[in-house]
Amino acid sequence: MMIDIQEVNKIYNEGTPQAFKALKKINLTVQKGELIILNGVSGSGKSTLLSLIAGLDKPSSGKITVDGELISKLPDLHASAYRAKTVGVIFQHFNLLESLSVEENVMAVLIHSGLDMPTVKSMIEKSMKQASIAHKATQNISLLSGGEKQRCAIARALVHEPKIILCDEPTANLDKANALKFIEILKTLHQMGKTIIIATHDPLFESLDFVDKIIHLEDGMIRENTE
Amino acid sequence: MKNSLFLHFLTLLLFKQKSKHIGAVLISVIIIFLLSTVLFISSSLQHSILCTLKKQADFTVSRIEAGKAVNTPAEWVEKIMEINGVSKVAPRVYGRYFFAPRGNAFLVVGIDFFDEQNNQEMQLLLKNLNLKTFLSQDSMLVGEGVKNFLKAHYFTDDFTFKTPKGSFKKVKIAKVLPKQSNLIANDMIILPIDVAREIFGIGEDEVTDITFNVPNDAEWDNIITKLHLMFYDVRVIEKREVKKAYENLYNYKGGLFLILYLVTIVTFILILYQRYSMVYSTERKEIGILRAIGWSIRDILKLKFYENLTIVMVSFILGVVLAYGYVFILNAPLLSQIFLGNANLSNSVTFVPVVKFGLLGSIFFFYAVPFLAAVLIPAWKIAVTPPKEAML
Repeated sequence: MMIDIQEVNKIYNEGTPQAFKALKKINLTVQKGELIILNGVSGSGKSTLLSLIAGLDKPSSGKITVDGELISKLPDLHASAYRAKTVGVIFQHFNLLESLSVEENVMAVLIHSGLDMPTVKSMIEKSMKQASIAHKATQNISLLSGGEKQRCAIARALVHEPKIILCDEPTANLDKANALKFIEILKTLHQMGKTIIIATHDPLFESLDFVDKIIHLEDGMIRENTE
Repeated sequence: MKNSLFLHFLTLLLFKQKSKHIGAVLISVIIIFLLSTVLFISSSLQHSILCTLKKQADFTVSRIEAGKAVNTPAEWVEKIMEINGVSKVAPRVYGRYFFAPRGNAFLVVGIDFFDEQNNQEMQLLLKNLNLKTFLSQDSMLVGEGVKNFLKAHYFTDDFTFKTPKGSFKKVKIAKVLPKQSNLIANDMIILPIDVAREIFGIGEDEVTDITFNVPNDAEWDNIITKLHLMFYDVRVIEKREVKKAYENLYNYKGGLFLILYLVTIVTFILILYQRYSMVYSTERKEIGILRAIGWSIRDILKLKFYENLTIVMVSFILGVVLAYGYVFILNAPLLSQIFLGNANLSNSVTFVPVVKFGLLGSIFFFYAVPFLAAVLIPAWKIAVTPPKEAML
């Protein structure tokens, strides 16, 4: 078992009158190499669940275990190491450093890896090729199209060869052609044995033949689990 | 290897985000430039004055009557010479000579050119001064300010003094004192003691004051006591008092600038703090992104520390170098007048380069620490929030 989520709750603004329960008693297991779709309307809790698995936030209660490591209670230094080694995240709004180029954005992940420059360079090249963005390596992010930014974000998510890839609404800001390109890259990554979780409400993903599981979230709870 | 990647990334951020840093660098350079300028001027003036004072006599005595300075009997010279431990006793005649039409004044100092010590000092000051020719006619040495002032009033070769008896005394301008002595000799006229007596109407048995040295510092207080026992109406001025007065004067002026500097730096630091604390600032998003891709809080603080340390160091070096050029090469136009004042004769001083590294270190420390704190505290606050929130 790769990811094990048990009785996870997430409450924002806990203990205040504005308290909001985003996730309620979530139980989920993800096997190694699986491709899972988390769907549901906006505000259903998809992105929150994804950020908890990514270690970007902590659950209010419950446990999240990844590869046997309890990540829901990790102190900052270990949580950062977990993000830097185990997961690669592709965000809806790409979240790239606008002043840097494609390769520099990708490199940012490896700054504290302890690797030497030639190794880092070859890893960057490899990930950029996988994401089909190598031709724009030195281009500044601010000059890229939405699709190119997305591919840069993919290259950044892949560069450290993570076991888990998490995508938050990856096609929300793309046109159909770029969305299909993204799906192609996704398929290749799935074939490579990566564990992939995609939070989306794009119906395009529901018809994909290589999806292992579709989980429907509603009001912070899992309503349906389709194998 | 780890560090080389970090340094590479740090350099990239600094160069690619230079527009973000340019404002902070510019303001920092201006603040450090102003502060360094004030300190350079103040240190240079203090240095010059102390050097000049070193050559001055240890004591100056004059007679007082009811608390008012009056002419001193010349016979005191002989009496002071008799005190053990006293050397180089010299009478002086000096006073302010008012140039009535303009309300300006010259400091006229009459000295004994036949005195060996005075003679040597003058030869050192003015290498090509022919003392024989100088003394054969009524001549004087004038400060640069006096020379320019007289020239502006068509006295190019000589000047005619009006004596208290109503007669005129024409004195030839023999030489101009070197520019390096402008700090204290800008408005000074040095001439033979007898000519000075004539100008001020002082009798041959009188002088304005008497100077002398006491080589053994430990004896200074004893000598003062002896003088007071010897003359009931004596006023003694010690060199160390004069030194203290000058130091206080420039420390006071420098202190005013320091207060202004502190106000400026506090304002700037508050602006910086505000900028970094802004809820939707680009810094906030950048930190959130780096945290999301695996940077720890420590990594973020390290990046921000080195990024801003570089900014502080570049600003500091630029500010200090510019201040050095402004003060010691351009002679601090505009600002020098605040320190020197030009109420009497306009003065132009050449600042002798004096750099106190301890002081520069203090400027760096007192600038770098609040600057870094103003950036690192908000950066830390952002770094400890969940990356998801910071990236919004």
